[in-house]
Formats: sequence, C-alpha cells, structure tokens
Amino acid sequence: MPRSQAYVLGSFIVLAVLFPHVAPYKALASEVLIFALFAMAYDLVLGYGGMLSFGHAAFFGIGAYTTGIILLRVTPSIPLALVGAVVFSSLAALFVGYASIRRHGIYFTMVTLAFAQMFYFIAFKWTGLTGGDDGLQGVPRPDLGPLSLHSETHLYYFILALVAVSIFVIVRVVNSPVGTTLQALRENRDRAMSVGYNVDRFRLIAFVISGCFSGLAGGLYALMLNMVPLGALHWTTSGEVVVMTITGGMGSLFGPVLGAVAIILLRDIISNYTESWSFFMGLIFMGAVFGFRGGIVGLLRSTIARLR
Amino acid sequence: MSGQFILVQLFNGLILGSLYVLLALGLCIIFGMLGIIIFAHGAIFMVGAYLAYTVTAYLIPNFWVALVCVPIGMALGGALLEVIFLRRLYELPPLYVMLFTFGLMLVLQDLIRMIFGSMGVPFSTPAALAGAVNLGFMHYPTYRLFLIVLTAAVSLGVWLFLTRTKLGGLIRAGTDNPRMVEALGINISRIITLVVALGTGLAGLAGVLAAPIQNVRPLMGMDFLVDCFVVVVIGGMGSLGGSILGGLIAGELIAVGVMVWPPMANTLIYLFMAAFLLVRPRGLFGREAFHE
Repeated sequence: MPRSQAYVLGSFIVLAVLFPHVAPYKALASEVLIFALFAMAYDLVLGYGGMLSFGHAAFFGIGAYTTGIILLRVTPSIPLALVGAVVFSSLAALFVGYASIRRHGIYFTMVTLAFAQMFYFIAFKWTGLTGGDDGLQGVPRPDLGPLSLHSETHLYYFILALVAVSIFVIVRVVNSPVGTTLQALRENRDRAMSVGYNVDRFRLIAFVISGCFSGLAGGLYALMLNMVPLGALHWTTSGEVVVMTITGGMGSLFGPVLGAVAIILLRDIISNYTESWSFFMGLIFMGAVFGFRGGIVGLLRSTIARLR
Repeated sequence: MSGQFILVQLFNGLILGSLYVLLALGLCIIFGMLGIIIFAHGAIFMVGAYLAYTVTAYLIPNFWVALVCVPIGMALGGALLEVIFLRRLYELPPLYVMLFTFGLMLVLQDLIRMIFGSMGVPFSTPAALAGAVNLGFMHYPTYRLFLIVLTAAVSLGVWLFLTRTKLGGLIRAGTDNPRMVEALGINISRIITLVVALGTGLAGLAGVLAAPIQNVRPLMGMDFLVDCFVVVVIGGMGSLGGSILGGLIAGELIAVGVMVWPPMANTLIYLFMAAFLLVRPRGLFGREAFHE
C-alpha cells in the first residue's frame, strides 16, 4: 500500500473511532456508518458494474425487516438476525437481478425500480408480518453474549466493526478477478464479450454481492432505530443511495462513504432549522449535477492536484 | 360476484388505464427523443392537479378553463425547464439528467406541501359532468366516461400529430437519428424543447383529469410514476402503441386484482411485468437496440 493511501486509511480509522464523541448525538454517527456501508455496496453495482439500479431500497428494506422480524418473533439473537438479513436480501437480489440484468441502460433502471416497489407494496399490505404503514415497531436489541448493546456508544462500535469487515471484503471483491472483469465490462462490453466473458453472469454476481451488503446495512438500521420504518423499502430510499454515491464520487468506493457522511450530516443540520428539508435536499441534488460532477472525491483530487 | 359488478370494475380499470396512458405517452416520447426518464414526471402530474385546484377554487370556478389552461401552462413550464436546465446536461451520461429530475421531484413535492399542506385538498366533480349515464347494461358516472373518451381522443391526436404532420415527422426523425436531422439543417434543439413541452403538458392534463377522482395530495404522483414505468416496460419503450396498450393492460390488471384479492392488486402488475420480461424482454412493441 503506498504511503499516501495508508495516511488516508489511518485518518479514516481515527475519525471513525472518534466520531460518536463529536457527532451531535450517537445514533447519528451510527446512521452515517450504516448509510456509508449501503452506499459502498451500491457503488459495486453503479460505479463498478455501470448499472443504475433504482431498486436497492428492496435489499436494504428486506434486510431491515428480516432482522426485525427474527428478533421480534423468532429468536432474540443478533448474529442470527443479521445472517438472516444477509441471506434474504441476497436471495431477493438474485431474483431481481436474474429478471432485470437481461435489460440494459434505462430499462434496467425501471425494472429494478418496479421490483423494489413490488416488495414495498407487499410490506405495506402484509400488516400481520410487517406492521404495514406504521412500520415494524419495538424491535428489541438483545445482549451480544457479555456485551450489552443498549448503550448507543456500544452499538456504534459494534456497527463500526461489522462495517470495517464489510469494507475489507468489498475492497477485496473489487480487486479480485471478478472485480477487474466487472470493470472491463463497464468500460467496453463488446470487447469483454468477444474475449469470451459471460457478461450477464458477472453483472449478476456484482448485483447479488451488492444486495447482500445492502441487506446487512438494512439489518443494522433496524437495530439502530429499534424499529423498521416502511419508508426503508420505498423507492426514495433507493434514490437517496444513488445520490450519496454520485455526490461522493462513484467508482471509487470511498467516495460513496464520503457522500453518505455528507448527505446524512447535511440532512440532520437542515432538519434542525426547517421541516421542509427535502425541498433543500432536492435543490442540493439539482445543484450538484451542475456543480461538481466528479463528486466529493473528484473535488478533493482536483484540489490536491492544484496544491501540488 | 354479479356481472354488473365485474363490468363496473372493468370500466374502473379503464379509468386508471387512461391516466397511465397519458403519463406513459409523455414518458415515452421524451424517452424516445432523449434516452432519459424524467423522475419528476409523477410530480409534474401532481402539480397539474394542484394547478387545476388553484384555478377552480381561487381564480375562475370553471373546470373547462382549468382543463384547457393547466396543460398549456404545464407545457410552457416544461419548455422552460428544458431550455434553462435540461439542455445543459445532454452531453453528460443520462444518469445526471435523471439525478437532476429526482431532485426536482423532491423540490416540487415539498413546495406543494409547504403551500397546500400534506393532507391534500378537496376537488369535486364538475357540475356539467355530475351524475351517471345509462349505458343500457349499467349506469356509469358521466365524468368517468368523459375521462375515457377524452383520453382516447388525446391519444389519437398525439398519434395523428406524430405520424401525419410534418412537425411530427421531424420528431420521429429526431428520435431515430438526431445528428442526421441536424445535418439536414433542422434546429433539433427546438424540437427537443417541443417534445419535453408535449410530455409535461400530457402529464399536466392527466393531473387535471385525475383531480376529481383521486386524492389531490403532494405525494399522489410518486408511486403512480412507478406504475407508469411498468406500463412502458410492458408496452416497450419508444412505442406509442405500446404505451397505450400497456397502460390499459396495467389498469385492467389492477381492476381484476381488486375483484380477486384486493390487498395484492397493486403487486399484481409488478408480478405480471416480471413474468412478461422473461417471455418478451423488450416488451410488446419494443424495438431492438433502442437506447439500450
């Protein structure tokens, strides 16, 4: 690892460890981490696979609901609940991915969006299982062996540990043969095909891995909130993760992390002053398209280049 | 389940289908021209409904004035949107235009919520179209029949415009090969403005027509838009006939779903889309390699 990257990674770690002590409240720090993981998982599909999915709320939401339902109705075991979240969201990603990767470009976007909406309506109507419009209330947060997660600080470090492991795995995936093939497909589909790669299979693999980590993020979200809001499954959640990834800088893994941090903190700040934060968030998205298209990462890179 | 009930439900499916058709036509022609989808299309539909409310409740209490003026106003708004903002984004990957329109959706929805509140506003059926018509085999609300007939007329009008007029021919040519049209000395950017205006105008019209029969509330267009995506996926992107047929199929599917198992009525069209994609990945009339 080059020295500059080591510095960046080191400062990331220090910041992550100190974060809950500087954040306005502890849960906000946890939320930032969760969406950082979600955005990073999403970047596998958008930044590396070149697929604009608008259906990732489905995997996030299914992860959240699975965790909530297991903890509430099956067994009070966090590891089991999170494994369940990963399994079910991966299965959902396999189903949605299998049906939609045969379409490209905008069609892919619309099909993934429509599938996510299907899960939304199922959760909306199946009130016996999901609580419907009210969301799944009262998700417990049982102890993890000797470790109590009732304190928000404990929960934050638990989430940090899982997110760190996930980031390690995602970085390994990106640099693995699967990851590099995926980038080759994004850059030149025809050429990769003529070399003999099965395009759809690689796209599907990326989609499922992405869905799997989105589900983990969703599961952690249920733990953090002690509930699952129905909105987690709504397509605006997909829109938010797309925006985080793009404002951060897609195709860079750490860009989406920065994007998630920026957007969650910004939303928190704006909602302190006005009820209509979504109006201002919308304005920011519209402005971002004109302002900095390389995202925060692009902005940082050009600033550093200028300083040198 | 009586035959009467089934007929009424099928007609209700036609109502919903009509609104889908108007929105999907707009999505479809804009997509054909630019290769992008406007995420704000549902919000534009909603703004149309609120403008109709504003006109009838505060300015001129006449539904017909709203029916004519609001779509024209929305079309002008769409033209402005294209000229001021969208135009600057075509050189970028389509992603950025969609992101922009997603932001626009949030802004429009929250703006309307700030002005009118989140609970929605009342909108009554215009007096001239109140009551019901005896169709011989059943009575059906006059306004709903009017909606079906008007949508059919507008769809026919759009189709005639695109296939029988010179301007329509230019739009179709621009859809197929914008560079060539430009090379022939035609100002393609004006045509693009016109197409976006037409699309938003149709969405505005759908909003006015939906106002008396749906809850007029800030989020009314948000989920409706996703249904319209299903419509164009089923119908095949870039095909007017596909949008119309797809819209009617989706409307009837929901109507049938309401009769068979109400909680799953909305889910039915998504399942149908999933199954349909496996059989016909390009939809009913989708063309090969069209903006793919």
